[in-house]
Amino acid sequence: MKVDRRSFLSFVIGGAAGTALSPLPWKLIDDSSIWSQMWPWTPVPPDGEVVYEDSTCSLCPGGCGISVRKVDNRAVKIEGKKGHPVNDGGICILGLSGLQLLYGPTRIKTPMKRIGERGEGKWRKISWDEATAILTEKLTDIRNRGEAHTVAAIAESDSGTVPALLQRFMTAYGSPNFIRTSSQVDADELAVKTLFGATGRAGFDLENADYVLSFGAGLVDGWGSPVRMFRAGSLWKEKNVAVVQVEPRLSNSAAKATRWVPINPGTEADLALGIAAVLVSQNMVDTGGVSGFGSWKSDLLSNYPTQKVSQTTGVAADVIVDLAKGFAKADRPLALCGRGKGLVAGSLRETAAVYALNALAGNINRTGGMWAVPESDYIQWPKAATDKLASAGLRQPRIDGAGAGRYADSRYLPNRLADGVNGEGPYPLQVLLVAGANPCHDLPDSKNVRAAFARIPFIVSFSSFNDETSAMADLLLPDHVYLERYEDVPVGAGLARQVIGLSRPVVSAQFNTRHLGETVIAAARAMGGSIADAFPWPDYETCLEETLGEKWDTLMETGVWVENDIDPVADTVRLAGMDAPAIQAEGDVDRFPLLLVPYDSIRISGGTIGDPPFMIKTVADTVIKGKDGFVEVNPQTASAAGLTEGDMATLSTPRGEVRVRIHLFEGIKPGVAAMARGLGHTAYDGYLAEKGVNVNELIGPVEDPSSGHDAAWGIRAKLAKA
Amino acid sequence: MKHEQQHNPPMKYGMAIDLDKCTGCGACMVACMSENNIPFREDESDKLVSISWMSVFKLTNGKAFPDTEICYLPRPCQHCEGHGGHSPCVSVCPATATDYSAETGIVSQIYTRCFGCRYCMGACPYHARYFNWWDPVWPEGMEKYLSPNVSPRMRGVVEKCSFCFHRYQLAKNKAYLNDERTVPEAAYQTACTQACPAGAIVFGDLNNPAHQVHQIVKPDPRKGNKSRNPRAFRLLERLGTNPKVYYLSSREWVRRAGDNYLAHEKTGQVSNVHH
Amino acid sequence: MDTALIPKGVRRCPMWQFLLGLGIVGAVLAWGVYAMLLCWFKGLNQTNMNNYYGFALWIWADLAVIALGGGAFFSGLLKYIIGKDELKHIINYAVLIGFICYSSALLILAIDIGQPLRGWFIFWHANIHSMLTEVAFCLSCYFSVLTIEYIPLILENRQLNKVPFFHHLSHNMHEVMAVFAATGAFLSFFHQGSLGGVAGVLFGRPFAFREGLLIWPWTFFLFTWSAAAYGPCFTLLLTWITEKVTRKKLVKDNVVELLAKISGWMILTYTVAKICDTTRWANITVPGMGQTLADFYTGNAFYGYWILFVEIVLCGVVPAIILISAPLRKNPAWRITAFFLGVIGVSLNRWVMILQVMAVPVMPFDSWALYYPSWQEVATTILPVAYGVILIMISYRYLPIFPQEAELNPIEEAATAAVEIQTDTTPDLEPAQA
Repeated sequence: MKVDRRSFLSFVIGGAAGTALSPLPWKLIDDSSIWSQMWPWTPVPPDGEVVYEDSTCSLCPGGCGISVRKVDNRAVKIEGKKGHPVNDGGICILGLSGLQLLYGPTRIKTPMKRIGERGEGKWRKISWDEATAILTEKLTDIRNRGEAHTVAAIAESDSGTVPALLQRFMTAYGSPNFIRTSSQVDADELAVKTLFGATGRAGFDLENADYVLSFGAGLVDGWGSPVRMFRAGSLWKEKNVAVVQVEPRLSNSAAKATRWVPINPGTEADLALGIAAVLVSQNMVDTGGVSGFGSWKSDLLSNYPTQKVSQTTGVAADVIVDLAKGFAKADRPLALCGRGKGLVAGSLRETAAVYALNALAGNINRTGGMWAVPESDYIQWPKAATDKLASAGLRQPRIDGAGAGRYADSRYLPNRLADGVNGEGPYPLQVLLVAGANPCHDLPDSKNVRAAFARIPFIVSFSSFNDETSAMADLLLPDHVYLERYEDVPVGAGLARQVIGLSRPVVSAQFNTRHLGETVIAAARAMGGSIADAFPWPDYETCLEETLGEKWDTLMETGVWVENDIDPVADTVRLAGMDAPAIQAEGDVDRFPLLLVPYDSIRISGGTIGDPPFMIKTVADTVIKGKDGFVEVNPQTASAAGLTEGDMATLSTPRGEVRVRIHLFEGIKPGVAAMARGLGHTAYDGYLAEKGVNVNELIGPVEDPSSGHDAAWGIRAKLAKA
Repeated sequence: MKHEQQHNPPMKYGMAIDLDKCTGCGACMVACMSENNIPFREDESDKLVSISWMSVFKLTNGKAFPDTEICYLPRPCQHCEGHGGHSPCVSVCPATATDYSAETGIVSQIYTRCFGCRYCMGACPYHARYFNWWDPVWPEGMEKYLSPNVSPRMRGVVEKCSFCFHRYQLAKNKAYLNDERTVPEAAYQTACTQACPAGAIVFGDLNNPAHQVHQIVKPDPRKGNKSRNPRAFRLLERLGTNPKVYYLSSREWVRRAGDNYLAHEKTGQVSNVHH
Repeated sequence: MDTALIPKGVRRCPMWQFLLGLGIVGAVLAWGVYAMLLCWFKGLNQTNMNNYYGFALWIWADLAVIALGGGAFFSGLLKYIIGKDELKHIINYAVLIGFICYSSALLILAIDIGQPLRGWFIFWHANIHSMLTEVAFCLSCYFSVLTIEYIPLILENRQLNKVPFFHHLSHNMHEVMAVFAATGAFLSFFHQGSLGGVAGVLFGRPFAFREGLLIWPWTFFLFTWSAAAYGPCFTLLLTWITEKVTRKKLVKDNVVELLAKISGWMILTYTVAKICDTTRWANITVPGMGQTLADFYTGNAFYGYWILFVEIVLCGVVPAIILISAPLRKNPAWRITAFFLGVIGVSLNRWVMILQVMAVPVMPFDSWALYYPSWQEVATTILPVAYGVILIMISYRYLPIFPQEAELNPIEEAATAAVEIQTDTTPDLEPAQA
């Protein structure tokens, strides 16, 4: 067939017209839009049966009840548990992010043994049997050499069955070195012991108070049990309760308070004693519940005249008098302390001074007052029998020096661990067990801590996450995360009652991890002898059920056990512990003209848990921008250094130097610089790592002369244009 | 602006957020992210491209130390009613991908209908609308927590707060099964309301005098639904957007920050609501 | 080489020169295409747009080219409806420029939307309340009109015209062109207006919002008016540039001056209207929303009162006066300056109505958001420019765009060329006479 131009054109035009009129192009257009609605790389969450399972959150000491929504076997949402005595349906930002921790890529998925250099991140996956064998062989070796005391364990808590099992293991093994990470709990316990003469903790009946005087306690920044605090804050608003926040920086707590009293950092104790002096001098005290008032009174009045206190604290004299009057006039005033979230122990002087205010107001063990709450005592195990090796080890001094000599009053001194390991201790440390703690990030003076960890020949991490400390470990024995395990959660956190929550596995273990309790029991059994004898339980669940006894049924049924009727450890407060010198910031005033203070934010997890992606997403761009962290200064301070908003600056302290950006904030005292705590991680994943600065790189511990606890509230610093 | 068949008087879901109580803790933001499968990226510090249906603004009174004050202001979608359902965004969407429901007063967003022209974002003075600049990607394993109630959005579409509309649907189905004529107040609450540890958010039907939100707000229909509560205000009320999110504050400077005022104008008293 | 395709009676540059030029512009085009593909395959994260700047450089470019392309509908209206017959000497070029502008606008829109595959939802799920829907419909329809107006021009290519079918088609299309010109003017009135409405209806944005007539805000009318006023400036500016590039006079001064004069009066009336609008807006609308001009023009690093002066006085009043005054208009330097200012003015107006709208904070505690485009945005914005230059180059070379070219540039040794085209039945290049 001959194709001429005409027929060719007709064919082309006809063909085009025909195709256009056929359904084909329309179908293709439609298909493309459907395809664009279901791109295969956009996940489609499978549907299924919805159930709610209750448990207790243990991401912080708050002890909130949670209700986890599940779709088939997937946990999809964590909500606050309605009617729970701590949080009644409310939940905090960290609790809400829990599923990102459970399912996140920062989990350690299986036991592993280091094969590369330390910190290099090269690991070999091993079985649990092999892992337990490595651990127990190592420990048995050391013990058989009579060096059981050279093993130390560091844990976030010492209450509840899991820490108790670890402590028991250390005792049966023969090491005095069980260390609890530092927090306000240290100073609180010591203050209660000093003032009440008995072991216990302070509980605050915040809900019934009618005047709240907070010496830097981050009432809505994560202090105490955070959700309970938010609820109390709203209650105070409804009841028009006066809330005074004493703090150098306009924190969220200060912003929510009815009155913000800016103060020179570190002088809170002076203000508390100054107020006490006003109360005493104006005869506004109730001395019914205090002892030793006579001698204390004259010291107080001579040492803390209002004018002098005003000079020290930077708080005007009339304000001091005003605060004293407000406190005295109130029916149920409460004074609180513990900076920010209370992540640093703090000094006995300060804690005792603030607690003394409560005593002078006659508000001890009363509605709306401060309670001396006994420690929970449901763990009644027979004392672990110690063989000769163990007894010998236990007679050795602790690596951190706690409980003896000048540190006789302290139980744990994690702030002294690094120095102890670095040569100041009585002996070199051979093994460190780390459970639920991240000392490589959280201890002050990170450089020193890293040096110490480098000296410890064998580090075992039980962490569920790739944190800074597991990165330094030699053996990883990952624990379940809280949503995968049973555990009792005794709640302190300033509650004026005794509460025990129960964590229950909401989902089955996602990875090849093992409950820390099981790991400890298995290790003990593998080591045999008196160590095995101290652990008669076949598994952790049995141990837990037997330990909780009659509480077990209540806990299984309601998830929480509450004792509202508190039998206080004592009723009389002996006024003491306030005569130590004030804690000074480290550094030379001339070289370091500024004061750097860390601040806590509820959106930045300050404890062991690193911020999950959701939380980091909520952090303002004036705290982190890209990888850069910010330091907050008053515009006056900045302009003196020739700096403006967003400028890159060098921030140096006696302990270190970092590059940061400047954020101008009118709500901070001139001469003070503030930096968020909890950032500057090097481990975890790209969502968290390398963002901002770890303030612990810049701040070192400062020992409280009364106890040895870390009482650092800041450090001297210098800002310069970078 | 569709008129569904109705057996009940139309509802008008809205919120009252007590700024005196709000602590800026951010729980509402994360509750929302977790409830609504909101994606996240490694760097979320560029807030101009970050998606957060609920966003908490930090307001200051502009005064120098020590008279500085801070107030946090959580901003969900305001679910503007405008005049007769002509909210700023609904009226401009060329593809009817966003709509004002006469049944619930909720401004919807159909992700599979939206083709990403972003006109609605330009129209919204609250910046309550967010564009998916990237494909949503969850780190390996994390897609396990995604909720089947809210479909993850594809790249190139606009998304925003829906007042947890899926929760309304679930509550409505449940009410139907229980032979209830209306959805009970407690049965339908948004994720942020439920989570707020300070109890600062109250959510419910503004048309229903039995609901707490109505009792707090006491909207005045003759004045464009302005609240009769002297502590209450709405954001940019005088623009005539007629939002259904009310804020409460006892501080005058905070209430004044909620709208634009000429120097001589008194807070909360403007001559004429626009439109 | 391609002599057979080149219109009769005119001279074109040698092929190598043409190809070299095409190659250079083609490279720019390829760069733009690369950026376009990045945007399509990787998504709009390739841009510097953000949740505050949902509309940015592209939408400005879109609105600007549509305003500048307004020369097509307005010249058409003047020639076919009003009867300014001299304009037939420039109408071809106006149509070509319009065609380029509108096809570019559609291309930009296809890149700009987040889900291009569903772009047609704007027609399928149309929301009649949306100005953008109106824009989409009128824009597509008017683009069809421009295509119809452009087709007869293509068919006048010497070789195509030999095909009797094309010849007659072209002839018949010319016959009915007045109908299309009227349709085009009608459609343009609406979509230019709707584009103005896009900003004007934003009652949540006091900077953009305008009251108006019935459902149309004042910006609706201002946009249409300004497109009609300034569009011809762009047509004339491009004509001048083309003359400079080709080193030939292509359109007679009387034609240029006529269109310039009309443009001048249009700019004047527009500027008066714009001043009235701005005054009312500044004194009634904005204070009614609790704001003042200072909120819009201070407190940021870029947008100041200068922008009002440049837009209204420098690029409004000044070109209007130049083009209205006969002596100034007849002076080429002044005339070209006026065209140039006019083009700047209308583009600046579109910039203000899009980008400044996005920049101005509305909530008192919100802050200004400034933005600069990414290279991908710049490249995709330059893409249509390169495409336009190429289309003009090809059209100019092979189509009788300028009917007066042969007359103004007589070829002395035209004999050889004439022999080849003896079969041509339409030696006349003027479309209307064909």
